[in-house]
Amino acid sequence: MKLLLPFHLQKVGAGFPSPATDYVEDDIDLNAHLIKNIPSTFLIRVQGKSMNKVGIHNDDILVVDRSLNPKNCSTVVANVNEELVVKTFVKEKNQSFLTSGSKEIKDKINLAENPEIVIWGVVTYVIHAL
Amino acid sequence: MLYNNNKIALVDCNSFYVSCERLFSPSIDKKPVIVLSSNDGCVISRSTEAKALGIKMGEPYFKVKKIVQENDVKTFSTNFSLYGDISRRVMKTLKQFSPQMEIYSIDEAFLNLSSVKNENLLEHAYKIRKTVLKWTGIPTSIGIASTKTLSKAANYIAKKEKSGVVDLINSKKTDELLSEIKINNVWGVGKQLTKFYIKNGINTAYDLKKIHNGWIKKNTNVFGSRTAMELRGFPCVSLEPHEEKRKNCCVSRSFGRKVKKLEELNEAITTHCLNAAEKIRLDKQTVKKITVFIRTSPFQIGNSYYANSKDVDLPIRTNDSIMLIKQALIALKSIYKKGYRYQKTGIIFSSLKDSDIYKKNLFSEINNDEKRIKLMQAIDHTNTRYGRNSLSIAQAGLKKKWNVKKQHASKIDTSCFNFLPTVKIA
Repeated sequence: MKLLLPFHLQKVGAGFPSPATDYVEDDIDLNAHLIKNIPSTFLIRVQGKSMNKVGIHNDDILVVDRSLNPKNCSTVVANVNEELVVKTFVKEKNQSFLTSGSKEIKDKINLAENPEIVIWGVVTYVIHAL
Repeated sequence: MLYNNNKIALVDCNSFYVSCERLFSPSIDKKPVIVLSSNDGCVISRSTEAKALGIKMGEPYFKVKKIVQENDVKTFSTNFSLYGDISRRVMKTLKQFSPQMEIYSIDEAFLNLSSVKNENLLEHAYKIRKTVLKWTGIPTSIGIASTKTLSKAANYIAKKEKSGVVDLINSKKTDELLSEIKINNVWGVGKQLTKFYIKNGINTAYDLKKIHNGWIKKNTNVFGSRTAMELRGFPCVSLEPHEEKRKNCCVSRSFGRKVKKLEELNEAITTHCLNAAEKIRLDKQTVKKITVFIRTSPFQIGNSYYANSKDVDLPIRTNDSIMLIKQALIALKSIYKKGYRYQKTGIIFSSLKDSDIYKKNLFSEINNDEKRIKLMQAIDHTNTRYGRNSLSIAQAGLKKKWNVKKQHASKIDTSCFNFLPTVKIA
């Protein structure tokens, strides 16, 4: 038979009691911080080129939330030409565009003119190994 | 007419496995797609486009190969870890719409919507569909009615509707719709019952609803009359929000190629035992009886066909992989016959019970038992953390040459770091 003893965080001792005992919390759970909506959040790996201006590099892992609607300058995953790609979502004068990184770049895709393009999800974090 | 105030919605994912495959492959969005059962045997999921080509559910792959090649039908082997993860996401999303929910299968759930006002039901159902589609990417159909059987029927019709929703509670055309449903498509009516009903002139759900209850009770069993009552709007099958624990656990696989040697069968049985034991430990259950079975292909003619099984009653209840494997292998040895080309083998753990009723055997060494329990816990923890089969038993084999054929599997797993879906930067 095992005898279970009550477990004390702080040693019962002679010294000065740790002032931190009242503030002890659980370990940090990255999932809880990086994933707001569990059923709609997917981890997706970047393959190929990088998007340096946005800070996304080859082999990074994107945290993508499908439940969010993109705002101006959101980084999104979109279905363009039957492929999932990373784009920047830009709003200008009530019109929405997808661009490849920054506002200035000319290869803007007008979403109203390309109704077949679907926003797959909004990128909320990038996990990058150094 | 309404006999109760229940409002039950059956939410069913459309071509679920195909929809999962499409989630990360937009190029197959509007193309014909099929998913094959393990070993690439039969068609188990079809996109609307594949259905239109005449590919039937459950059809063997070799029979549809010609249609597949001629029409460039995209074909996938099963990827159950992906489907399982997407299913969990769908169910979690649905749960927000009703705390009272019964997960009926990997792609179906009953929701209790009794607290929703009648006039808001349709709107509510559209919202459920829209949310599931946006969050998980999976299209669904929803049938709403006052009983489970009727909600199944409503869902059957919803599958064909563009809106994807059919609400029988506010409908005056219920009987009209029920007469469109053939008797074999009614929930709870199996093959035998279908034959019997058709012989007696009951061809549709509506026919069954109208038949005299005394006749059904006299001629079928309690399930038959339950179905008829439910079609009339009397609830007989209640929602079961709590998952019932399984009473038995079967793991079996067809081999990727025919197997002759006992050593290879041993490997397969060991692997199946490990999988099943892990499942029952997860549910905190123990097993009292093991059945081991082997068979050659049923298409083998004459003397080349052989099938046999053996039951083993265990001296004590257990969920210890090592003990279970030991017993299963003894049973296998007793039914194995040389010279046959085996196609399939499997094990069934039966009379499962919760492990807290685990009783210590008078003769077992208590110390040893506790060590084993700890060993099993260590194996389970390691495998949860580092992936299945990280820690196994050597008997299960390393190469597993007999393992299943999966020629067309998508290598995506949304719940595994090493097989995440990928995205490009254009």
